[in-house]
Amino acid sequence: MTATDGYAHPEVLVSTDWVKEHLGEPGIELVEIDVDTQAYAAGHVPGAVGWNWQSQLQDQRRRDILSKEEFERLASESGLSPDDTVILYGDNNNWFAAYGFWLFKIYGHPDVRLMDGGRVKWLNEDDKELTPEPPEVERTDYVARGEHPELRAHLADVFAVLERRDHNLVDVRSPDEFTGKIIAPPGLPETAQRAGHIPGATNVPWSTAVAPDATFKPADELRKIYVDGAGVDAGRPTIAYCRIGERSSHTWFVLKYLLGLENVRNYDGSWTEYGNLIGVPIER
Amino acid sequence: MDHRARVYDSVLELLPSEENPSPLVRVRRLNPCPDTFALWAKLEWMNPFGSVKDRAAWFLLRQLEEEGKLDNGRGVVEPTSGNTGISLAALASLRGHRMLAVVPDRVPLEKKLLLRIAGAELEVVSDELCPSPGMGDGSINLAKTYAKAQSDRWAMPNQYENEANVEAHVVTTGPEIWRQTGGEVTHVFLSLGTCGTVTGLGRFFRERKPAGKETKVKLIAVQPSEGHDVPGLRNISQLEVSKLFDPELIDEVVEIDYELAYERAVELARTEGLLAGPSAGLIYEGARRVVERDRIGCGVMIFPDSVFKYTSNFVRHLPALAEGVEPGTGGKR
Repeated sequence: MTATDGYAHPEVLVSTDWVKEHLGEPGIELVEIDVDTQAYAAGHVPGAVGWNWQSQLQDQRRRDILSKEEFERLASESGLSPDDTVILYGDNNNWFAAYGFWLFKIYGHPDVRLMDGGRVKWLNEDDKELTPEPPEVERTDYVARGEHPELRAHLADVFAVLERRDHNLVDVRSPDEFTGKIIAPPGLPETAQRAGHIPGATNVPWSTAVAPDATFKPADELRKIYVDGAGVDAGRPTIAYCRIGERSSHTWFVLKYLLGLENVRNYDGSWTEYGNLIGVPIER
Repeated sequence: MDHRARVYDSVLELLPSEENPSPLVRVRRLNPCPDTFALWAKLEWMNPFGSVKDRAAWFLLRQLEEEGKLDNGRGVVEPTSGNTGISLAALASLRGHRMLAVVPDRVPLEKKLLLRIAGAELEVVSDELCPSPGMGDGSINLAKTYAKAQSDRWAMPNQYENEANVEAHVVTTGPEIWRQTGGEVTHVFLSLGTCGTVTGLGRFFRERKPAGKETKVKLIAVQPSEGHDVPGLRNISQLEVSKLFDPELIDEVVEIDYELAYERAVELARTEGLLAGPSAGLIYEGARRVVERDRIGCGVMIFPDSVFKYTSNFVRHLPALAEGVEPGTGGKR
């Protein structure tokens, strides 16, 4: 038995040991994605380039994900090719790495994987090296292999769901955010005018999917949490959301790749968009 | 070194020890049973760098020096909510070492500036973005990253895991209390952070019975309620990070609504003349409740720090304190 047994798509997860064994192999590229690159600068997995979620993975003018052209430019500057096996990892239990994974999939990258446990697991293992040295990168000409907008939910999709009630809506924020006691986690900006959740949503905090060592929980436990516990109906399409779309990409990854739900979308507008709208229904 | 004349060659000689203990001051007016339960405050802010952390910092730094880990210009990197960093930075400066303090953003500005003044470089981390299992603590992980990725430049004492932190209290705090109370101490009240104090005192007092008593000295941990804002302290639910925590050594845990930490600290200042910080206020409230219940004994409260570094926290919790600090806004006289 290995830890990935039972996952619907075990090929999208690699262990820290696997990464160590394959360091420096041609065709295997590492990207560390953090909320900011403070930790990356102090030390990272040898050969990994560092991406800053705030300044590099979002459109800097309007609120949006990177356009295809911007994504291609970033991937090219990072020396990536569509044929590479790209391994993503990062801080905060891979929140931001999961967002990056979602972006890679939106722009059709065939082989992208998460390093299970993220940077904290690597850091705490004695046999794993870290370096402050930036990798030598040879610029490439990355051309995206396609576009998959169906992985993303927009506000109109959420409205349609509210009408038809034929989706699972999974709110992955903390219970206090879900019940409207607070608008944002302590210390984070309150980016919405109102507190609460989208009517019909079920609350499964993203961290429920993570074991104490920062790896994803085994498939049977995840199934108990989402399907048996929270009533996520595997036969229905699903939309996950949070405050700004990064925690929900973590849950999106769990539902789509570890549990194998067919149709899962990340609503990156999330509560920051919905909680600011005039005249929409809100539950608390 | 002459402790009677208090004349010293170096500030290092002021570090606390059985011969030079931090003061024990009797609390009477705020003691619910002043005649039957002697209650003492051990003023750790009288240590040379201003807090209980002087003890651990000195033991940690000395260990790094003795093991040669600070040779070749290697500096000290440590995650700190302030006090360990201030003591370490001052000691490191004195001994000619560099110091990098990795500090959670929630640490009060006063402490961050003190770190700079004491000679530390700062790296501030926006910690606890969303507390969750397994995530560890951002500042601890970043300090570990420096020590691992740049081991030629930085060595990390790691107060959360290093036995030297415990040893400091076995060797200094415990014997001090024992001698200062003439072996009569029945209760020790303290808080939990790295757990160096509680584990060190737990080991020191494990086999000790107060004079004429059948039961050993009781160790009572006072912890703030969850979601607290008491710098330096941890609720037991946050103790996963401390490898020094040993629940077997604690006789009782008293949980106090953290807002009371601030109210009680102000009472200590205004009633006993003790300019106690919020952690001391919290410990006092825990002690007060136990004194009321047990009625007979001799208790020592470890007061980790004074009020000075926390005035902005006080205003957050007791906004009335800020009334009248601007010209023309004072109340009626």
